[in-house]
Amino acid sequence: MAGLELLSDQGFRIDGRRSHELRKIQCRLGVFKQADGSAYIEQGNTKVLAAVYGPHEVKGSRAKMLQDKVLVNCQYSMATFSTGERKRRPRGDRKSTEMTMHLKQTFDAAIITNLYPRSQIDIYVEVLQSDGGNYCASVNAATLALIDAGIPLKDYVCACSAGFVNDTPIVDISYLEESGGGPELIVTILPKSEQIVFLEQNSRLHEDNLSKVLDVASKGCKDIYAILDRAVRDHVSKVSNVANTTE
Amino acid sequence: MANDLKTFQPKEYYRKFLEKDVRPDGRELGECRSTVVNIGSITTAEGSALVKLGNTTVICGIKAELANPKADEPKNGYIVPNVELSPMCSAQFRPGAPGEQAQVLSQFVVDVLQNSECVNLQDLCIVSGKLVWMLQCDMICLDYDGNVADACVLSLVSALKNTCLPKVTVNEETQAIETDDKITNNLKVQTTPVSTTFAIFDDHFVIVDPTIEEETLATGIITIVTKEKKLCMVHKPGGTPLKDSQIQLCIDRAIERSGQATKLIDETQCSLDR
Repeated sequence: MAGLELLSDQGFRIDGRRSHELRKIQCRLGVFKQADGSAYIEQGNTKVLAAVYGPHEVKGSRAKMLQDKVLVNCQYSMATFSTGERKRRPRGDRKSTEMTMHLKQTFDAAIITNLYPRSQIDIYVEVLQSDGGNYCASVNAATLALIDAGIPLKDYVCACSAGFVNDTPIVDISYLEESGGGPELIVTILPKSEQIVFLEQNSRLHEDNLSKVLDVASKGCKDIYAILDRAVRDHVSKVSNVANTTE
Repeated sequence: MANDLKTFQPKEYYRKFLEKDVRPDGRELGECRSTVVNIGSITTAEGSALVKLGNTTVICGIKAELANPKADEPKNGYIVPNVELSPMCSAQFRPGAPGEQAQVLSQFVVDVLQNSECVNLQDLCIVSGKLVWMLQCDMICLDYDGNVADACVLSLVSALKNTCLPKVTVNEETQAIETDDKITNNLKVQTTPVSTTFAIFDDHFVIVDPTIEEETLATGIITIVTKEKKLCMVHKPGGTPLKDSQIQLCIDRAIERSGQATKLIDETQCSLDR
């Protein structure tokens, strides 16, 4: 193979991880006051902020209002300084628009939408630093922000990516591994019911290997679920402690 | 009871506090909110800083690009500030093209940079008449709780002080641009402009560092930019007329604030270098 060796003979990846190892995840809920819910997540060097407003009355054109369920409005935006080369437009380019659509579809499926007919929920995602897995980090951050906003979800929504190098599936791929040209699989699941909400696969991958890669990715999602769940529980206990002492 | 008054008669509510020389959040009239600066948190940017002024949060990232200089100023580089007030930071902003307020703020930051001569544009020259640096400074407001102007200036100056540019040379024979990432130079920041905003309430109370509620109730706003104990710029967009003595008081307070802010940036910078 020319160029970079994505997986060494000893089974280590470029950043020193094993094939099944996630990047370090750090997250916080309730980082902002203005938003109804907000969260910050770091997955390795990818740093993402999410803010949720709503449910509130439909703003802008009334034609978008849905009679039977809530309108989920997303905006995915990448800071111009988030990538190696400066981005000309933080949003509105095709890639961001696609990402916005994917987020909207994902959360349309996970939010219990029939509870708030004729209303709107806004999910704003801002990528501050990008190092692969932007979609996954955005979904995970948005989940935490929705929980912080107290919006009823069917379940946590966890997203994880996976690649396939030297006949080995690798989980949570970084920018270098993404740009290597190998296959990439992104999966979003509801971990408790093990339902797949979103699945995307790029580049060529043999049919026989698909289930292997998918397994690794869903395992990654469940690992992420454990981390998110702990963060939520820590946050809730902290908030309730503060509430108790001030009463 | 207090909450009802706040909702239905916010001005009366504020007046009751201000008459006792205190604000509803517990601050004195001349007291700024607690300020936090985090420098160099974004590694993809050449320089970055996150500033929190109470709840108001602004992040500034600086990306350096190569550009051709203007013909009439062959040695001058460019600094292009841009303030973004995205719908993320407050429900009052709509998605889409930058609003009036964001554009006014961007121009305010441009004026601060020009008036304070904070960075000598000739330092950004690589080859005279051919190649210069263009610093794209993007400030994104993440949480809007009033007084974004001060937070923007503070984050921009902190990020500029953190900016490291790689050494670039132009090969004289081939005219090719050669970049050496191993040798980096810190950007020279000559002065530290600090902006301090005051809100005027009921035509005579002058309160520093207003929150969003105070900004909406205020009858006027005045922003003073100082650099190293010297006055650099005064910006008073209409509102209640002020007396000389009141403006003098603002200037004195701004100079005091400027000292604190400069010290804060320097201390954060030092803890980073270690």
